[in-house]
Amino acid sequence: MIPTRGSLPHGLRGVMDFDSSSAGMQGRADRREFLKRLAVVAGSSALIAELPWWSPLRAEPVAEAASDRVRLGLVGVGTRGNLHISHLLRTPGVQLAALCDDYDPHLQAGLARVNGAKGFSDFRHMLDMPDLDGVLIATPLNQHARMCLDAFSAGKHVFCEKSLAYTIEECQSIADAYRGSKRVFQIGHQRMFSPVFLRALELVRSGTIGQITQIRAYWHRNGNWRNPIPDPSLDRRLNWRLYREYSCGLMTELASHHMQVANWFLGAHPLSCVGYGSINYWKDGRELYDNVNVVYRYPNGTHVIYDSLISNKFYGMEVQVMGPKGLIEAEAGRLYAETPPPAPGIVQLINSIEHGFFDTVPIGGPTWVPDLKRDTRGVALVHDDNSGDDGTGISLAAFANAIRLGQPIPAMMEQACHSGVCVLMGQTAMEQQREVAWPEGFRI
Amino acid sequence: MTGIVISSRRILRELRIYACCVLAALLVNVYSIVRFNTQWKELLTTLHITLAVACVFYVLLAIVRGAAFCTRLALRRKTG
Repeated sequence: MIPTRGSLPHGLRGVMDFDSSSAGMQGRADRREFLKRLAVVAGSSALIAELPWWSPLRAEPVAEAASDRVRLGLVGVGTRGNLHISHLLRTPGVQLAALCDDYDPHLQAGLARVNGAKGFSDFRHMLDMPDLDGVLIATPLNQHARMCLDAFSAGKHVFCEKSLAYTIEECQSIADAYRGSKRVFQIGHQRMFSPVFLRALELVRSGTIGQITQIRAYWHRNGNWRNPIPDPSLDRRLNWRLYREYSCGLMTELASHHMQVANWFLGAHPLSCVGYGSINYWKDGRELYDNVNVVYRYPNGTHVIYDSLISNKFYGMEVQVMGPKGLIEAEAGRLYAETPPPAPGIVQLINSIEHGFFDTVPIGGPTWVPDLKRDTRGVALVHDDNSGDDGTGISLAAFANAIRLGQPIPAMMEQACHSGVCVLMGQTAMEQQREVAWPEGFRI
Repeated sequence: MTGIVISSRRILRELRIYACCVLAALLVNVYSIVRFNTQWKELLTTLHITLAVACVFYVLLAIVRGAAFCTRLALRRKTG
């Protein structure tokens, strides 16, 4: 049966209706109330109970006593880092004790937002703070592995922004270091905490769309993807997403989100992939592709088709999970049934009378009707979600709680490795123009 | 300007006619549920549509009644 307008798993809907716009103490109080409600829901939802990364949220946030606070340091105070600051300032039981960035204007701007935080330009010096519980890494991709390894060595818990690492070998090194560390690790894939994606997963698990036969994901933008720079000499440093020395561009910075969702929903990692990429529009000295197309092969003949470009944004971004009974557009939060539920009988009767009066009598017609996209609005996956949180705020609260509880979540590393390796396979396939297989012997 | 007085008897009669229209619309709804094999709960969930159909019936009936009244009036004038 196709559900009508959905509710979040086990009443999460009511929990998500909170005002996220308030800041400071009021915002922290709102977030505390929100997390308390979330703890109740997380303890009662069958679906959430199956998702280990939600388990720390079952514990209510602690009081504001200084001794109970989790002290975190943030490295990388750029766009993403600043978003983390906004969320952490509202997260109860968390103290942002240190900020680190080797670009001083960013560091100073960050320090101006966080009262009492210590500033560092060298990450290793930040790790020397003995009372620091964990670090959040929001730096260019090529620095993730070194920082994760250093942090584990220093006994710190780690929240690392996606994608996990710059090479598959580095992914393996992080997984190995994590295994022996007994520390909490979390990856910045906030869709794992998004109520809309939870609802989508619930529908997939309940068989609403049938067996997943294909996932199509895309992320389209129209812009050169450059940050404004005060001096041309800072281009590579501030626009690192465009240069191979630092990143794998669209694959690691955008595709990793959707590949994580694909792996999560399919419950598997890809077996192999092929793909093409090129720079066909933004020929401005960048080294990384401005359009990518990759096809991933999964067990049971399922394919995930991913494409991304930054020269047309009409379709925006989406993850389309397809099955014989329906399609879910998770980003838009809508379900499209292949056979929509019938209209009420009286409406059907009125329509049939209307057709009898006004329809023309066909004398001859087309023998072929084009399979154009069906013009249907579908059904909303969740009711109005007023949280203003795409999952990032919840994920940071989960990280803080996991540290407080001393509760590492190995499944989080699995998600991080699967998506991280996936996108690196895609990048290699495009660069070397060959089919790339999942690395044999990769161990999480 | 002459005031129009509608007697309570007349109002009651119109209400009875509308009630009959509602009943007729409900019967149409029952027929459509059987014909299109939909759910019986639609008798309640589509009540707004039923009332709208009843209004249509009432207007159609008013047209018929108006035509009958005009015909009667014309005949009365012709014979009288």
